[in-house]
Amino acid sequence: MTQALLRIDDVGVRFGGIVALDGVSLEVARGSIRAVIGPNGAGKSTMLNVITGIYQADRGALIFEGEKINSRAPHMIAQMGIARTFQNTELFGEMSAIENVMVGLDRYLSYGLAGSMRHGGHFRRCETTARREAQALLSLVGLADDASIPAAALPFGKQRRLEIARALATRPKLLLLDEPAAGLRAAEVESLNTILLKLRAEQGLTIMVIDHVMALVMAISDRITVLNFGRKIAEGDPATVRQSPEVIRAYLGEKAAAHAIGS
Amino acid sequence: MIARFLIYGVGIAAFLAAPHLFAEYHLFQFCLIAATALVVLGLVVVTGLAGQISLAQAAFVGLGGYGPAILATSWGVPLWAAIPLMALGVGAAGFVLGQMTLRISGHYLALATMAFTAIVQLSFIHSDPVTGGAAGMPVPPLRLLGVTLSNGGQLYYVILPTTVLLFVLVRNVLQSRFGRALTAIRQSETAAEAMGLNVLRYKAAAFASSGFLGAIGGALLSLLSTYLDPGQFGITQSVYFLAIAVVGGMTSPLGAVIGSAMFILIPDFLQSFQSYLGLVFALLLLGFIVLRPNGLAAMGPRLVEWVSHRHRVVRR
Repeated sequence: MTQALLRIDDVGVRFGGIVALDGVSLEVARGSIRAVIGPNGAGKSTMLNVITGIYQADRGALIFEGEKINSRAPHMIAQMGIARTFQNTELFGEMSAIENVMVGLDRYLSYGLAGSMRHGGHFRRCETTARREAQALLSLVGLADDASIPAAALPFGKQRRLEIARALATRPKLLLLDEPAAGLRAAEVESLNTILLKLRAEQGLTIMVIDHVMALVMAISDRITVLNFGRKIAEGDPATVRQSPEVIRAYLGEKAAAHAIGS
Repeated sequence: MIARFLIYGVGIAAFLAAPHLFAEYHLFQFCLIAATALVVLGLVVVTGLAGQISLAQAAFVGLGGYGPAILATSWGVPLWAAIPLMALGVGAAGFVLGQMTLRISGHYLALATMAFTAIVQLSFIHSDPVTGGAAGMPVPPLRLLGVTLSNGGQLYYVILPTTVLLFVLVRNVLQSRFGRALTAIRQSETAAEAMGLNVLRYKAAAFASSGFLGAIGGALLSLLSTYLDPGQFGITQSVYFLAIAVVGGMTSPLGAVIGSAMFILIPDFLQSFQSYLGLVFALLLLGFIVLRPNGLAAMGPRLVEWVSHRHRVVRR
């Protein structure tokens, strides 16, 4: 089956007079890692917010596993199997790291209101299993020893990774990462790369990552989509995109691009 | 496990011994604290946990008081059945009110819930034939298994167990995935939605439980006061309940008990001060908001920490 996991078809979003996305189309294949790059204001985050239902598309179609997800509520899209992290981290700051992850597992706890009132055997088994699964996810992202620390008290790099663990707890088919490497040190980017590649290899997870950090984007993506002013200006594997004159122009400006290409 | 049974045993013993040790007036006060704590527990759920500021609590309390009284006097429904029935109805009203949170939040939500309280109070005043209008109406005494319970000493046997039961149930729910979900929603609705939580439904459910608990608490309060005066169910009363929650501690059920005990016992100690009581409460509220926003309940663990720290230092 070669049907794409996510298909974005001619999607446009405008905020008043500003066109944030202007007829962007792309397909994300199952088990692939797709990067979306572009200068500030290119519409990358807007695209992520349209996919997750925070913004509505004014035109075009978003199709996930053959189903149209335009105008669905964010929590329904999440339940279909799209999880995300946030550019400025949106953790539940007062809750411990492990509890943050357990919120992601919420849907998979099979006790109801009556069960939670009684705190009976089934309740305890569910909670224990969930806690164990959450702990395993924390270990996966290298936070095994930070389980009981309030999320807000973690250093920035760890908060980023906690967001990934929390997103994974929802057992997504598609993981969307909004600038996961921004502000990370080189070694941290390295370990993030390892985690993402491992997730794809072991669980067949499809990943779409938005970032500026080329050390991440170039190292892990199968395909890269480049946006500028809400339009797609290039697409292809890392090597192709790197040499695209359009991309060089978008990033470096007209003059520098002419110089770079000319030389 | 043994320690747990010991605590239960001591609790039951204390419950049974209290009527023999305390005067009826004190038992009446225990009941008052318990019933108020139930009302405030509703606020702990909706405001403390879910983060939705509600000034509807006095309306829920009023409905919980008037509903059963009217059902009993006009339709002859026994109070023991009318009280939980009405509480379920008020819970449903709370759920509907909670749907508002789809469109409004923060200060606007507080204002909208305030308007709800005003509307409910006005309808008490203007429905003379059933509510007795501005003059109010008497509450028939609770009859249970052929026994009429009319004073604090007798109601004690109903009010205390009801309160304890509801507190245990609510605490259990809050220490489950539902409590986690509400806490998560308070801290980031966007992230909670991205985790697949139906935020609107959770918020509405929080309003529903605050309505249910407020109505039960209101019914119990009406049994104690034996008279319903519509003047008691206004916006000021909503603010009073909110003040109790703030002083006691918004985020824990224990805070509801501590706050209620403070606000009901203080007037007793300050009898000669009676006319300045409002000022005392206002200063308490202000002091806690500025200095201890997490309330008295949050000071307990810190006190233990401090003592054990001192202890360690001394030993060293």
